[in-house]
Amino acid sequence: MDGTTESSTRPKQNKIMNVIADATGGKSYKAHKYALDHTDHPFVDYGDSEIRWKRRAETTEYRTYVDLSEYSKKLASRDDHILSYFLDGSRRVFKVDDIAYAKSGSRSVIYPVIAGQIGVGCCLRVNKKVIPTKFKNEFVLSMPDVADADGKPGFWPATAKKLSDCDELKRLGIEFSTILPYKTSKNDDMKFEDRATACVQDRMIECEKKLVAELVHEGKLNQNNYLIKDGSLEYRLNKEDKADKKLYQTFKNNYSWVIGASKNFNPEVCEDINGKPNPGFIADLPLYHRTPVAEYENSMLSDIKFAVWYIRLRDKKQTRTAFDGILKIEKILVTEEENENGINSEQVDILSSYIINERNPVCYGSDLRWANHIYPIYLTEAFVKSRYLSAESFLHLF
Amino acid sequence: MSKLIGRVLATEKSPTTMDEFNFWTNSDLKLNAFDIVKIEHIDNSYTFGVIENISHITDAQSFLTNFISSDFGNVDIEEPTLRVGMNYAKAKVSFNTRNLYTPVHNNSKVYLATADEIAMALGLNRIQNPLVCGSLKMYEGTAEEVTLPVHLNSKFILGPEGAHLNISGISGLAAKTSYAMFLMKAIQDQYLSSDIDESVAFVIFNVKGRDLMAIDRSNDFLNDAPGEKERVIKEYKLLGLSTEPFKKVKYYIPFTSSASAKQSTYLSPEDVKNYMEYGQLQKFKYSYESDKESLEMLFADIDDPQQTMEAIISKIIDDTDPDFGSGRVNTWTEFRDKVDELSQRSQPAGRGGQQRVSNEISVLSWRKFKRIINKAIKNDDMFANRPDSSKHECRLADELKKIRENEVCVVDIAKLPEDKQAFVFGDAVRTIYNLKLGEYDIESGVEPPSRIIIFIDELNKYASKEIPKSSPILREILDITERGRSLGVVLFAAEQFRSAIHPRVTGNCATHAYGRTNSIETSAADYKNLPSTYQNMLTRLEQGDYLIQNPVFRSLLKIRFPKPVYRQFK
Repeated sequence: MDGTTESSTRPKQNKIMNVIADATGGKSYKAHKYALDHTDHPFVDYGDSEIRWKRRAETTEYRTYVDLSEYSKKLASRDDHILSYFLDGSRRVFKVDDIAYAKSGSRSVIYPVIAGQIGVGCCLRVNKKVIPTKFKNEFVLSMPDVADADGKPGFWPATAKKLSDCDELKRLGIEFSTILPYKTSKNDDMKFEDRATACVQDRMIECEKKLVAELVHEGKLNQNNYLIKDGSLEYRLNKEDKADKKLYQTFKNNYSWVIGASKNFNPEVCEDINGKPNPGFIADLPLYHRTPVAEYENSMLSDIKFAVWYIRLRDKKQTRTAFDGILKIEKILVTEEENENGINSEQVDILSSYIINERNPVCYGSDLRWANHIYPIYLTEAFVKSRYLSAESFLHLF
Repeated sequence: MSKLIGRVLATEKSPTTMDEFNFWTNSDLKLNAFDIVKIEHIDNSYTFGVIENISHITDAQSFLTNFISSDFGNVDIEEPTLRVGMNYAKAKVSFNTRNLYTPVHNNSKVYLATADEIAMALGLNRIQNPLVCGSLKMYEGTAEEVTLPVHLNSKFILGPEGAHLNISGISGLAAKTSYAMFLMKAIQDQYLSSDIDESVAFVIFNVKGRDLMAIDRSNDFLNDAPGEKERVIKEYKLLGLSTEPFKKVKYYIPFTSSASAKQSTYLSPEDVKNYMEYGQLQKFKYSYESDKESLEMLFADIDDPQQTMEAIISKIIDDTDPDFGSGRVNTWTEFRDKVDELSQRSQPAGRGGQQRVSNEISVLSWRKFKRIINKAIKNDDMFANRPDSSKHECRLADELKKIRENEVCVVDIAKLPEDKQAFVFGDAVRTIYNLKLGEYDIESGVEPPSRIIIFIDELNKYASKEIPKSSPILREILDITERGRSLGVVLFAAEQFRSAIHPRVTGNCATHAYGRTNSIETSAADYKNLPSTYQNMLTRLEQGDYLIQNPVFRSLLKIRFPKPVYRQFK
């Protein structure tokens, strides 16, 4: 009798939440498990107004849009390209449980447990064909910081290891790389879920940074082989980066041949020549034109300066909104000279023209963001997503 | 080791089944319909599949996606990135090495097969009484290209297991005659070189120009590209055939007096003379006495709903008939006079003695009969009083009766009008059928081989669906296709449009060769059992390519055969 009871309860014991509850001394509630992500659709990102346009950041002082239609045509006829690598990172987060920790007295507080899958992939384009070259994925958990009862360093890695050692995960060949503690102190009004998600997001950005560093280290990136990264380059420097001068310079150097291309951006941040916010300036950007390059910096990013400009890939009348066919391009100002005088305008024109030529083929029909989702990036994203464990399988682990 | 080319696909919407599956391959990989692939399957077995169709897809969701990808219709736009695309092939399961027809599994490895494996997959390695019928090419245009000779079981084409061959395809492009000749050459080669108990002979009708009038002369390849001869000879050797033309050939042409300006053959007078000197050629005649029974063949294509023509012919061949019987009529001239007389008589024809004219046959019918007979017989040297053997003349039926093993008799009917072609053909077929029935066994010099192959092109003239049911030739052909298998009379027939042929004729053929044809033809019911890819393929087959269907093959095979080694006239 005993034997059968034990074997029938064993699978339950093996579930991750039981291991976690055990290790952290909490109580797992087996709450409803669900995905926190929203689907991919175009949206205007109105957030984060800390970033401000500072000043012109290119060598030629343009006062209005720059026409690149002829130049891009000329480049297209040459049939070469310098945009060779494409990088995209994504994550999927799920609320997998609620866990209760005892506070003073008999009171206990319930915190959400968030689990995430992180995938970062890089593809290379050879002979017009896109081939996957690098891929990193991680399974992570985000737990309230109070789950660490002792507050000693090494607790989270040890717990993650304990978790990965459990039979079920071993059997499936799945390993949780880390547990990310989120802050539970009530100093802002962010929800716990959002804090945990932010932790996962930060982890993904770290992954992306590592992948870029790898590419640089392998000498893959140069003036003929740029990397386009999906999304913004607004990477926060972590403490170590900031502390170490050398690391800091390495970080910057890594980004010499990297440009960020964002589909979603806050048009409010754009200021016109007079320093007034003027989203209309971007909305009215004519086809195959770019805006002048502006520089911005951000306290969060310490003294790293970014050059930012916008390019219109599609005619306004063929997209649903005025912002749909626009791509926001970012590049880190790396050298002294660039920091001083801005990027060479010619280089901006070349890069922009190449990006304009990336407008075809489109992912119309498969992705609502087709108007400014450039195809190799779309493929990279599809590649990364194809490697995810399905939501059902993933949630079943908990 | 075989080359890995892809993996099996099984999805909810397109599952793998007992008889088919899909697999993906690189979009640049060269594969063709009919290529064989090998798939890893359960219990260490391998399943083999025949490719039926290959599709190319991309991630574009709709045509609109592609249209938008060229800036909403700019035809000059070049894309810097190729759209992600792949090929997937649909294959029919042909064989499993351990007889396991459980559907192949998703993601199973798909390989190209080796020559031995292809032979095994198609069932070509265990063919008894092998008779070469062409060669097949797999993986054409790749480094893995394989050429294999294809063998039929001769018992399934010459009987007794199965008999008759039907070749269809449009004129010129399908090379129907050449294919039939190739097969007959292979058969003759086989019977000449080995000591098989059985024996075979051929009766070939030449229906076009001089095409088959020099099949014992070598092809000089004068009209071909240089090096073609060596290539063709190499092909023959690969197939295990001799490179010599037909042997033991006799030619028969309709008689015309050599003085007459009108000749009944496309052969030049010099050729005729030459052939006669070698004793290879004879001119055939029909005499009233011996051939009146074949008169009905002239009426094969004539509608005769009241059977009056039939009645007249029965009357003519009736030995007791008061008008024609007991040697009252002996020559064609007398015969025509008699018919003339009968059609002149008013009806009712007088009284008394004149009354003996059968009232069953109206004068109108006699007149119709007369018109047909006169058109055919009058002014034709072929219908004569008697053959003079000293002048290389003969009666065709007598010659065919004496056919010996391995002999090839070519009967030239190319220059005859259609009604007389039918007459000659019908008469010859009937003679051979009767010969094999044993009717002439008592005559001296009659030693029929165990199998006689009759080859006729343009079968539609004699056995189309539109031919009146009463046609004596259709009756003969049906007799042969339905009973010839056991008797040893084998029909090799060719026609442009298979769908036009009487279903009882095609239905009794064991072997079918489909050559190039048009899409109107492939939409006919006869082709409904072919997958649509094969139907389309039929419309673009190259000259010398055939799809072969035979009960011993596991599936339809696409084969090719080399150019003829006998002399060609252009």
